[in-house]
Amino acid sequence: MGSGFDFKVSVMWESVPILLTGMKLTIIITVLGLVSGFILGTVFGLMKISRNLFFRKLGGFYVESIRGTPLMVQVMFIYFGLPLAIGMRVPPMLAGVTAIGVNSGAYIAEIVRGAFQSIERGQTEAGRSIGLTHLQTLYYVIWPQALKRMIPPLGNQFIISLKDTSLLVVVGVGELTRTGQEIIAANFRAFEVWLTVAVMYFVMTMSIAKVLNVIERKLEI
Amino acid sequence: MTTTMIEIDNLYKRFGDLEVLKGIDLSVSQGEVTVIMGPSGSGKSTLLRCINRLEEITSGTVTVDGYDVTDPETNINFVRTEAGMVFQQFNLFPHMTALGNVTLGPLKVRKMERGEAEKLGLDLLKKVGLSDKANVYPDHLSGGQKQRVAIARSLALKPKVMLFDEPTSALDPELVGEVLEVMKQLGREGMTMVVVTHEMNFAREVADRVIFMDEGIIIEEDAPEAIFSNPRHERTKSFLGKVI
Ligand SMILES: Nc1ncnc2c1ncn2[C@@H]1O[C@H](COP(=O)(O)OP(=O)(O)OP(=O)(O)O)[C@@H](O)[C@H]1O
Ligand SMILES: [Mg+2]
Repeated sequence: MGSGFDFKVSVMWESVPILLTGMKLTIIITVLGLVSGFILGTVFGLMKISRNLFFRKLGGFYVESIRGTPLMVQVMFIYFGLPLAIGMRVPPMLAGVTAIGVNSGAYIAEIVRGAFQSIERGQTEAGRSIGLTHLQTLYYVIWPQALKRMIPPLGNQFIISLKDTSLLVVVGVGELTRTGQEIIAANFRAFEVWLTVAVMYFVMTMSIAKVLNVIERKLEI
Repeated sequence: MTTTMIEIDNLYKRFGDLEVLKGIDLSVSQGEVTVIMGPSGSGKSTLLRCINRLEEITSGTVTVDGYDVTDPETNINFVRTEAGMVFQQFNLFPHMTALGNVTLGPLKVRKMERGEAEKLGLDLLKKVGLSDKANVYPDHLSGGQKQRVAIARSLALKPKVMLFDEPTSALDPELVGEVLEVMKQLGREGMTMVVVTHEMNFAREVADRVIFMDEGIIIEEDAPEAIFSNPRHERTKSFLGKVI
């Protein structure tokens, strides 16, 4: 090509082993982040439908403030801002997991709320009418049904959060995007390396989508 | 000697500005089968739901087996095990098998051992004619079968009273009979029952008395034969005219 661009597949192959270590970290951060996000999301999602006004407001505040600000700003705040207030360095990995957890938690809270509210009132009434307490009804009757309805949107959130981890490049966590950047700093092959990185993200998101499909078919959602 | 199972005294129920029950007095003796009829919106479901406090009572008192339902000191979860409820829409738990539905109460409310609960559950499924459906999920049951599982689920708590809210009106006509049969059997065994239904034959066969409600009050009550053949009130007459 006139500009002197010569595409080398070999560069792609050579970058794969190092990129795989980054990919591993991406998966670890995503999984840890989503587990935290699921716990946060369940707690705050239930707060949003609680009968207690204070809890409802608190749940609403969390969800709105996270959904109303960019993830990038949240990451910067946790990594660069928070340490000044608590007088302690936050390790990049912890900052990354926290950011993904807090961020996905807000979206998962809405998923949880929606799933709980979608269960017919008659289910609660049937549970209460056989003498179950309010909490027992939530746990034995509503939760299992809500969980099933949450699977498709949770899978979607999984894909979103996985892609979001690439923003952690700013705090220097050696995940996939960061690893790609480092390779390019050494070999200047931006085209091949970013293409490889993109393919690796794509493989991960497609795999999640496929697994999700199988689960949905099995559970007849 | 008759013991009173349900005692309702001057019961009022409002939803916001809408007054749905306007001073209901009703006493149900042990073993008595009471059928409640009346036009749509007259407050039949609300009355039933006030008995196990699925609805908060605005004023008046309701006692079940001597327990004051309105008293905040009363353990309402206990009262609810004394007064089982069967819903028009069945409300089975879709994520549990028929047996799972029936044993949930014994396991979690009565804290029974699993083996014991399952034995009880199987006995009750047999009683409602569904021994072979123990491991089937509600999605794979017909409406009539669902309603019979729902009845077994309530009976599993060994209630002293059973409340039925139009248990057959969501069913295809050919499935109504199997549910009524189970209910008749219960009535014959001496279960105290309050049944909202428009099934005249059921009322004739097992009811001790029929109550006719309209616009939140009890208009008249009498033995089934008497009220059907000789209704005293105009509104009862015109309603029965439409139902028959
Ligand atoms: N949760 C509620 N909030 C507001 N209004 C209600 C509520 N539940 C019932 N109502 C109203 O109370 C009135 C009586 O309702 P209810 O369900 O007790 O009537 P019903 O006699 O059972 O009628 P149907 O034969 O249609 O079942 C109706 O006007 C209904 O709209
Ligand atoms: Mg009704």
